[in-house]
Amino acid sequence: MILLALFAPVIAKATGHGPNDLFQSQTLDSFGLPKQGPSGSFLFGADQSGRDVFVRIAYGARISLLVGLVATAIAVVVGTVLGVLAGYRGGWIDTMISRGVDILVSMPLIIFGIGIVAACSGQQGCLNGQLHPGLPLVIVIVALFSWPYVARLVRGQTLSLREKEFVEASRSLGMSETGVMFREILPNLVAPLIVYSSLLIPSNILFEAYLAFLGLGLPSTTPSWGRSLSDATDLLDTAWWLWLFPGLFLVLTVLAFNLLGDGLRDALDPRTGR
Amino acid sequence: MRGKGLIAAIAVAGVTVALAACGGGGSGGSANTNGNTTSGTATKGGTYRMATQDFGFTGAFDPSAEYLGWAFTLYGNLLIRTLLSYNHTAGAAGNVLVPDLATSVPTPTNNGLTYTFKLKQGVKFGPPVNRAITSKDIEFAMERIATPSVAAQYGFYYQPVIKGMAAFLAGKAKTISGIQTPDDQTIVFNLTRPTGDFLNLMAMPASGPIPPEVGKCFTQAGAYGRDVIASGPYMIQGSDKVNIASCSAIKPMSGYNPTQRLAFVRNPNYDPATDSTKVRQALPDGFVITIDTNAKDIFDKIGAGALEGSPDDPPADIIAQYASNSSKKQFLKTNSADRTDFIYLNTTTPPFDDIHVRKAANFVMDKAALKLAWGGNIEGPVANHIVPDVMYKGGQFDPGDYNPYPSTNSAGDVNAAKNEMKQSKYDANKDGICDSSVCKSIFFMNRSVQAYPKMTPIIQSSLAKIGITLNPRELPTSPAYTQIQTPSKHIPIGANAGWGKDYPDPSTFLRTLFLGSNILSSGNTNYSLIGLTSAKAKQIGALFPATGVPNVDADIDKCTAQTGDARNSCWIALDKKLMETVVPWIPYQFRNNVDLIGPAVTAYDFDQSTGETGYAHVAVDQSKQSQ
Repeated sequence: MILLALFAPVIAKATGHGPNDLFQSQTLDSFGLPKQGPSGSFLFGADQSGRDVFVRIAYGARISLLVGLVATAIAVVVGTVLGVLAGYRGGWIDTMISRGVDILVSMPLIIFGIGIVAACSGQQGCLNGQLHPGLPLVIVIVALFSWPYVARLVRGQTLSLREKEFVEASRSLGMSETGVMFREILPNLVAPLIVYSSLLIPSNILFEAYLAFLGLGLPSTTPSWGRSLSDATDLLDTAWWLWLFPGLFLVLTVLAFNLLGDGLRDALDPRTGR
Repeated sequence: MRGKGLIAAIAVAGVTVALAACGGGGSGGSANTNGNTTSGTATKGGTYRMATQDFGFTGAFDPSAEYLGWAFTLYGNLLIRTLLSYNHTAGAAGNVLVPDLATSVPTPTNNGLTYTFKLKQGVKFGPPVNRAITSKDIEFAMERIATPSVAAQYGFYYQPVIKGMAAFLAGKAKTISGIQTPDDQTIVFNLTRPTGDFLNLMAMPASGPIPPEVGKCFTQAGAYGRDVIASGPYMIQGSDKVNIASCSAIKPMSGYNPTQRLAFVRNPNYDPATDSTKVRQALPDGFVITIDTNAKDIFDKIGAGALEGSPDDPPADIIAQYASNSSKKQFLKTNSADRTDFIYLNTTTPPFDDIHVRKAANFVMDKAALKLAWGGNIEGPVANHIVPDVMYKGGQFDPGDYNPYPSTNSAGDVNAAKNEMKQSKYDANKDGICDSSVCKSIFFMNRSVQAYPKMTPIIQSSLAKIGITLNPRELPTSPAYTQIQTPSKHIPIGANAGWGKDYPDPSTFLRTLFLGSNILSSGNTNYSLIGLTSAKAKQIGALFPATGVPNVDADIDKCTAQTGDARNSCWIALDKKLMETVVPWIPYQFRNNVDLIGPAVTAYDFDQSTGETGYAHVAVDQSKQSQ
């Protein structure tokens, strides 16, 4: 998938088809329906606008990876900082952060996501023009709903770690609280965070696909697997290649990240038998 | 008016919501390509069964408020008679006014300011009212239009025209001074100004008679929708069981459940002798429309004879399946819906504040590709001007091949576009490519529902040829409309809107969409802001270019006051003027209405006046119906 994303421009050049190049006369019938299935010139066929599905899948991989990785990175950073704070400091800080997490986790993600996209949908965007619909907004929405799960995990781990002897020892040697949190506790969270992140990435890729499927976030000219699937729903019977290939790549990508996550857990978690 | 399946424009002004209709068109505007068809013997009897994914009513089926094109069709064909009506048939003939409750189409007197209607004798309300319809019932309906709590969605047509209606609306008068009912059979309207399309207003459902003894019980928006009293050949099932002894005793008619079903049965008080078979044949014994959220299921059932039709648009693959099969083609009916699809250009925002850029955009646009995105030729002919041809008298635009921005196969003429762009201030080096920063990454609004997104890459690709690049934004229908209907958002270009007539007169396009005084701060449908003044721009937060904005208010007022052939010629001249010297849009398609009918339908017609199936003239063969 990474190779596909990296070499998308090369694929476009090799096929002579850009992601938004239109080949209507070759690929659509007189009713505007796609007639060009997989062939030598269109490896995965052409879509209902006359564009090369393979090229768009390659470019779509970039979007999926970008959203998956960046949103996960944001979620991990935010979730870790807040989770460590809540778990280590306890008291009202823990209460505030934990209740905030509870509230976000209880929200219906898609509906809330739709609301945010709608609120930012104008030319002026939202947050005083800082946020506009498009890739950055999608990343923000996905990250917004991902960090609470990271924070919960980290808080739980921190609650356990702060009672350990090596933490007590650091404290008794006069290390500051910030030092304890970042020098003693954080390094011990790296393994579970890596494992969890690898599982969060496919979940976030799917979330982007959901938003795109609903026609939110990215315009139709930005290649996206979820959007391709959404556009194919009216033509399930007549143009199977429109849903098969984006669906296949989405499934394979999510599966690959899940397997990676399982592997990392096996490798990094000492409690897992090998 | 809003069309079923084809959502048009929404204008919100205070309590007024204007939704522009939709429909489909024949070739080049001569409407009917496959309209009035009979296959077999059209006989009385049977039930005409339909299904829809959603009724989509905009006013809960209350005729005073309702603004859905399909609802207009149900009212005019089945349920409600108005002073004037149409023959509910396809083509230009279906856009001609005919008497309905009135004995004749009146000629105005008093220099075009007074219209006197004589009502036919013996026309009665259906159950449970069961009495003769009088002029007072029409007067009551007009008062209801001017009752704010009822939220009449197209009251703006009547209020400025009928004397005293604005005062009634404002609560300054207890009656409308411009309406007199000297006797039960006579009603007189006095107008504030000569209004050439006033008679069309008397054919709109809101002007149909409402018995005050029932209507007075429903003072809130949409409330009357479940107890509409019939004056036409059909009534809502269960009407006869409603107790109107007091307002509190009135319960909803059993035949209408807004989430499940709407059923019409024969009105026992309807006397065909008071009607014309050209207007209504009323052949089936009843009509039933059920909700089915599965579009595929609906059209599969139509194909199998388990339904006779649907107000919804058939999916593209179904259309292709029927249109390309010689034995199935007969079940596909294609007619002009009197709707124009267009890309609007905001004349106040760069680079479209320069007419040369607007003209270049018209030259370069690949309209053939846009049409293919919609489904090809069956969806309608290429549009090269604003008002669909069939809405002009005789169904003719003059000349028929008018095209100020010609190109081979309508695929766009890049050279002509570049020549036009060279004259623009935004092309500094005069190479025909816009080189100003204002041409880069222009905000472009579109809908996120098909087939609109399919147009985005085509429009992007076309405009890129003259150096204009777009930053597309695709939103669901309502939010997308909200954006472009708010001038303070400064949306430079959009393809999410379409427009269909409210009634068969070009004014419902040219006056409604381009009159400067119609510009609103929200719910605005003059998307290009033609006729904007600097004062109004400041008031509504719109931009106002130093070079000003084109204005056609004087032309519109001139045409509005005219009648007959002069009126028709006036609107044609204005249509051309807009295309050549104002250039607010890139019109690309006069949309067709495509109906799929079942094998049991033995007579079909298309109601040109509303752009939907002409239920007044359909018939079914019960022996061919399956369950």
